[in-house]
Amino acid sequence: MTPRRIRIIVVIAISLIFLLAWAFPIVWSVLNSLKNDRDVLAYPPKLIFAPTLEAYRDVLFGSASILPNLVSSFIISIGTTVITMLMAVPAAYALARLRFRGKKFAGFYVLATQMLPPVGIIIPYFLILRNIGWIDTYQGIILIYLSFSLPFAIWLLVSYFEDIPFEMEEAAYLDGASRLRTLWRIIIPQVRGGIAVTIVFVFLNAWNEFLFAVVLSGNTVRPVTVAMFNFVSVEQTLWAKLAAVSVLAMLPVIVLGIVAQKNIIKGLTVGAVKGGGRR
Amino acid sequence: MTGRGQVRFDDIVKMHGEFAALKGVTFEIQPGEFFALLGPSGSGKSTTLRILAGLDAPTSGRVFIDGQDITASDARDRDIAMVFQSYALYPHMTVYENIAFPLEMAKLPKPEIGPAVREAARKVAIEHLLERKPGQLSGGQQQRCALARAIVRKARLFLLDEPLSNLDAKLRLETRTELKKLQRSLGVTAVYVTHDQEEAMTLADRMAVFMAGEIQQVGRPAEIFARPNSIDVAAFIGSPPMNLIPARYSDGSVEIAGHRLATTLREGGERDVVVGIRPGAVRIAADGIPATVELVEDLGDTAILDLDCSGTFIRARVSDREIPRERAALSITARAKDIHLFDSTTRRRL
Repeated sequence: MTPRRIRIIVVIAISLIFLLAWAFPIVWSVLNSLKNDRDVLAYPPKLIFAPTLEAYRDVLFGSASILPNLVSSFIISIGTTVITMLMAVPAAYALARLRFRGKKFAGFYVLATQMLPPVGIIIPYFLILRNIGWIDTYQGIILIYLSFSLPFAIWLLVSYFEDIPFEMEEAAYLDGASRLRTLWRIIIPQVRGGIAVTIVFVFLNAWNEFLFAVVLSGNTVRPVTVAMFNFVSVEQTLWAKLAAVSVLAMLPVIVLGIVAQKNIIKGLTVGAVKGGGRR
Repeated sequence: MTGRGQVRFDDIVKMHGEFAALKGVTFEIQPGEFFALLGPSGSGKSTTLRILAGLDAPTSGRVFIDGQDITASDARDRDIAMVFQSYALYPHMTVYENIAFPLEMAKLPKPEIGPAVREAARKVAIEHLLERKPGQLSGGQQQRCALARAIVRKARLFLLDEPLSNLDAKLRLETRTELKKLQRSLGVTAVYVTHDQEEAMTLADRMAVFMAGEIQQVGRPAEIFARPNSIDVAAFIGSPPMNLIPARYSDGSVEIAGHRLATTLREGGERDVVVGIRPGAVRIAADGIPATVELVEDLGDTAILDLDCSGTFIRARVSDREIPRERAALSITARAKDIHLFDSTTRRRL
């Protein structure tokens, strides 16, 4: 074997290890969701088995159907995403453009809220929500999610807005556009990719959130992450059902990712502005 | 001329904190004129243009367009079109959409937009590129697109901020000529910012020379070239730059390297002056200032000589027929009318 060939084989082998590590959870979930309860617990794990949709049938249409929980998750995630974006886009634009004292600090503060361990604030949040009577309500859980998603979204979007040269806006003003129209017609279309990325992350975080959901809601508002936890009990874990719900819960996020992908076109502004850049 | 696009700057001051970017700038531009704002970087020429466009507000002073005080009005209400140094094309729109944008903002009826866009594109020869995105265009094509976007609206003022600086040398020369023709055919008032004195000289009907936030001189390019009113303007205009030699003036002549040269100044007495002689005005003569040729830069039809006149350094431009060898000894002189005299303390022309 030539040294070149050996190198290629080594590279492929290393790649395969990484691929396996990355794909394993997904493969494991999908496989287990298609097994019956006996196959799931078989040791050594069975790779060849008779696939069944029993677990899916159970979790979708059985007594403990997760359909209402999926709806619940959708309401929370879409609500959080829409409100976050409506507020974060103008805020990020302002933060990127306007020059004011303490701008750097404001940027850091926005990020600092992300560094707080959630466990540390869950009790105060609980007390606040209880006092205003929003425990176990959609508005309550969305409000709590906003406190995390908004700073994150702003921080993520600012860099996209900062990449757009000032001159682009000035050209639009001279072309007769108002500030708002410039934002809408000139700026937003250019940060479309950034907005798509932000939407995916905000939705994903809200969709998969568990800790706050389980503490601050749980009866009327019961997202799918909380419902899933029912399959884990002291006596036994219903692995097949747990896996089936996991796969189902993954689907909306995958769809969103595929839709967003179309908007995430990199290098859109490359070549439009030469030499200029930020003042 | 339509009489549109007359500009007056009245004692404009612009402060950036403690720093004075403009220290009381006053000038006028006539309708239909091609007016250049020329100066080194940081001299205030771009600030002047931005204040005229309404992108920056002056600290004090007033700006008039067609006799109307527009100091406080918004950029979009001024009816001014501008070509940016970076072109600032909208990357997500096609060339057509880029050119149509100002018309759309002006609420022009849709059926009129198409023909207007095609007409503007035709004037700058990019009709065949209308469906492309700016990212798919070459630098020169992008520049034309920016020009088309600026002329499509038939604004009363046409501002250009170093529009040629991102083009390569050959394209820059071609575009320069076309720009002048375009402005002539449109009859529009153009204000052109550049740090390139050659560009200003060739394009402008009149120009203002900026130095350190002040206008040093306003006039026709030939006029400023022939009679620069200060040492700074003299040093800035012309390539290679004017020789500026400290010397002693007495009774109508100056002494350089031990040799007396007659001047046109008729004034008695003695004083310290700075003598300005353009390289092209330096003549090789039998009798004159003795000089040694240090270096010859042969440009083909002419040559630039670096001369050492007993410690005084002088540059001369000579025709190809009289190129001396390096290290050669010769003597130089200049006609009285080619000698500029400046006061060495006030730096103004005498």
